[in-house]
Amino acid sequence: MNTKLTTIAPWLAYFLIFGSLIFTGGDHTIHVASQVIILGLFAIAFNVLFGTTGLLSFGQAIFYGLGAYITGMMAKSFGGDFFVWALLIAPVAAIVLSVLLGVLSLRLSDVYFTMLTLAFAQLAWGICVKWSSFTGGDDGIQAIPKPELLAGGLNYYIFSFLVVTVCLYLLWRLDRSPFGSVLKGIRQNPTRISFIGMNVFRHKLLAYMISSCFTAIAGGLYAGIDKSIHPDMFVWTMSGSIILMTILGGMRSFFGPLIGVAVFILLEDEIGRATQYWSFVIGAIMITVVLLFPKGIVGISRHFAGVFAKKGGQLDNP
Amino acid sequence: MSFEIFISQLFGGLSVAMLLFLVASGLTLIFGVAKVFNFAHGSFYMIGAYFSYQAIALFENFWIGAVAAALGAGLVGMLLEVCFIRRIAGREEEGAFQILLTYAFILILDDAVKFIWGPAYKTISKPESLAGSFQFGSVTVPTYNLFIILLGLVIVVSAWYVLSRTKTGKIIQAASSDTQMVGMLGVNVSLVMSLVFGVATAMGGLAGALAAPLRTIAPGTGVEVIIDSLIVVVIGGLGNFWGALFAALLIGEVNAFGILWMPQWASLLSFAVMIVVLIFKPKGLFSREKGRKKI
Amino acid sequence: MKRKTVSILAALLVSLTSVASFAAETVKIGALYPMSGRGGLYGQDSEAAIKIALAEVNAKGLPGGRKLEAIVTDDQSKPALAVTLAKRYITEDKVKFLYGVVSSGAALAVTEVSKEYKTIFVGSDHAATDLTANAFQKYYFRVSNNTYQSMAAGAMYMQDTKMGGKIAYIGPDYAYGRDQIAELKYSLGKLGVKYEMVGEFWPKLYEPDYTSYITAIIKAKPDVLVSGFWGGDTVAFIKQAKAYGLFDKMKYFHPDGGGNYEVFSTLGAECPEGLIMSARHHNNWPETKENKEFVEKFHKATGRYPSYAAEGAYAGILVIAEAIRKVGNADDTEALIKAMEGMKIKLPEDPAGFTSYIDPKTHQMAQAQAIGVTVKNDKFPPAKFALGNMKVYAADKLMPTQEYIDILTKSKKK
Repeated sequence: MNTKLTTIAPWLAYFLIFGSLIFTGGDHTIHVASQVIILGLFAIAFNVLFGTTGLLSFGQAIFYGLGAYITGMMAKSFGGDFFVWALLIAPVAAIVLSVLLGVLSLRLSDVYFTMLTLAFAQLAWGICVKWSSFTGGDDGIQAIPKPELLAGGLNYYIFSFLVVTVCLYLLWRLDRSPFGSVLKGIRQNPTRISFIGMNVFRHKLLAYMISSCFTAIAGGLYAGIDKSIHPDMFVWTMSGSIILMTILGGMRSFFGPLIGVAVFILLEDEIGRATQYWSFVIGAIMITVVLLFPKGIVGISRHFAGVFAKKGGQLDNP
Repeated sequence: MSFEIFISQLFGGLSVAMLLFLVASGLTLIFGVAKVFNFAHGSFYMIGAYFSYQAIALFENFWIGAVAAALGAGLVGMLLEVCFIRRIAGREEEGAFQILLTYAFILILDDAVKFIWGPAYKTISKPESLAGSFQFGSVTVPTYNLFIILLGLVIVVSAWYVLSRTKTGKIIQAASSDTQMVGMLGVNVSLVMSLVFGVATAMGGLAGALAAPLRTIAPGTGVEVIIDSLIVVVIGGLGNFWGALFAALLIGEVNAFGILWMPQWASLLSFAVMIVVLIFKPKGLFSREKGRKKI
Repeated sequence: MKRKTVSILAALLVSLTSVASFAAETVKIGALYPMSGRGGLYGQDSEAAIKIALAEVNAKGLPGGRKLEAIVTDDQSKPALAVTLAKRYITEDKVKFLYGVVSSGAALAVTEVSKEYKTIFVGSDHAATDLTANAFQKYYFRVSNNTYQSMAAGAMYMQDTKMGGKIAYIGPDYAYGRDQIAELKYSLGKLGVKYEMVGEFWPKLYEPDYTSYITAIIKAKPDVLVSGFWGGDTVAFIKQAKAYGLFDKMKYFHPDGGGNYEVFSTLGAECPEGLIMSARHHNNWPETKENKEFVEKFHKATGRYPSYAAEGAYAGILVIAEAIRKVGNADDTEALIKAMEGMKIKLPEDPAGFTSYIDPKTHQMAQAQAIGVTVKNDKFPPAKFALGNMKVYAADKLMPTQEYIDILTKSKKK
């Protein structure tokens, strides 16, 4: 009973918080919530590589940008009604690209893998900026059309919420499947996994493809929030902020990255308004979390849940 | 292309490379030897420049400024290491938290310098003794650039010597690869790590002070050098000073000639070089480990 | 009986004054500026200038006792963040005007928000011509000059001083850098000035080391090096190039942002003489009462002299206040737009005998451009140099032609 509750609890919280906003949220809250769930999808998809498989990719933004630009450019060329189709084409393109990049990068270990993924993303950014006749360069693309049904902040939020929920559910099932267990095994002890007879490289590549696919969907969804996209979606600092938010929220839990995204965006929103020294404040908060909460922000809730549960709080991945 | 232009670009690339190496040398020490992911390396470069600026404003001497930069950055680095980085040592997700922690340092240091010195750009001048330039035929080489080139060579030789030929260096290398064992042999490992961190940040700060006469001192300039430094460190092989020097030379010269041959794409060349190197030499150019993991 | 009349009168008076104070609303302006990083100086200077302007216009008074107020938030020069902040300003803070934005990329995104929410956006400092050309929408106004205007003046200067022959260009590798040379070439073509491009160089934005570019430029032997840097990049390039004697070998021509004050205050005595540059606003020119007063007020409030960003931020508030005065309220957006179109407004940067005005068709502020040469000037410490021997170019000659707007529209497919 205890484990079933702890398994369902995060999903309940997710639906409660993000679902209720549909009815109670004002314009600004809905706008922020849209960003949170979409970037949350990006972060959770990233975590398939990082927290689960142990691969620190500093270039996932390449798929995010790819998703945004495919969706944005196709909607602009073929009209708003094509938006949803573009949203389906984006992950396919991402999977294709991820095979190419994955085969080249996954041969490398640790920091070399990290730097190669960063380099690919920076190259993509460079091409996006220079090929301005095709992509609009660093003016970005504005006024991306959406279908009538999705016009307006609230409607688009509901749409994004549905899409993100489906994606999260798929990722969730993956995480708890035997495939997910193999990935976790790879993170902990790749040699042992290969001794069992599993092909470690193929599993890593699949994880990379899956992560990229859902990242691209997040990018495509993002194109519809403000109907405006920019090459800085490819830049290493974009990948970097997702990494930070994931670690901050808790990389060993499924919803941890989403929590990290929510906290970070809310902090930036509120503190950015209050002072021009928001950098310092956020830095200080991050240090506090790191020192006091080894499992990230998720660790805070677990700590309290553990206090309540009589069984000494043995809470593993919900 | 005439011989003149070739020599001119060759020397230009050499200058660029040595400064790049100077900035990256601290990072290869911290990253390759101490195995700490110090994302904030650029920020120590930045505060080094500010410490130098302040010291020069007070004492009107460039060399005092350089010393102040190294000491200041080194002390700040050691302070941050003792107060924060040490606390997360041995944790399960140490690497990830180092990333988070050092990123927080960047945020804090950026605002600290903005608060103390304001947002306006600052500058320092070259020392009088190094302000001129040499003429080799039609090629001009500023004296200051020659100084940087010589200094870079001194650093690479000293670092190599200390790390591989002295007992201290061997202890440092051992301490980072097998902390427990070395601790059991009676070495105060955490002290060693703090000192190495301090030396690395001091090198970063010194590089900042030495680069400052050529550049602009402003808040946020730390983030601008971290990526290039990482590229140099990775191409050269982590912890390998000669490797980092060679990598810097490669990047500097590719850039110097790229400007002539493909000016439209010159700004992306350092990434292209790293991609090519890593595809063929997955652990950098001079790593002794075998790169391809047999999976 | 008398007491009752008095008390009735008193009650009436009280109710009248409370009605009057109820009508003294605050009109909010939502300003977005970089307050951190390399652009942070422009944000801080703009904020200070906004405060000065607000004090002035509120002292002078607005219809119905209204007060003008500005909220300033750091947009970190990020388009996505700027859009979020702009939308929040509109939906939560109920601002009547969007304001500022230094980064052109962010401005292009914010102008869409302005269009969608039908909120007037008074832009200052970002110079991409697009915003008053192919990306124009009627709620947008710009109170500082765009790159077309600077480069048109630059082309005329080159013609007047017979600068031509071999030209090389160096600028940061993004839209701002590319637009400048494209616009210079267009204007030179229109004037019929003969020139030959011997090299184009594209370092990345915030490039730390220009050495290899400098050696390549010197080897290309141009007569003129046209430069498109801004801020810290200008400072770094000048310092590095000086050591190679670049400025003795060719003319250095930097018509858009080279002469901004922060360049002079950073370089101090290291600034070379004889650089030909311009800026959006000069502290030492024109020597009119208005400009001197503005610079002094700024110096008194902040302890430093203003970068050019300040004058743009100052100008926008004056424009808004003037429009509210003309219309009588801050709610009738259409009327406010009409009031701003064609508005003539005396700004600190106006030379004697000229008043800046807003072009009704493109909503671009038409301003005179002054191009000068670096000479010793220590009136604005810590700067030791400033621009002198100014050649002034009339505002109406500098506005983008319809032909150019069509070219932009076609090439950018907006």
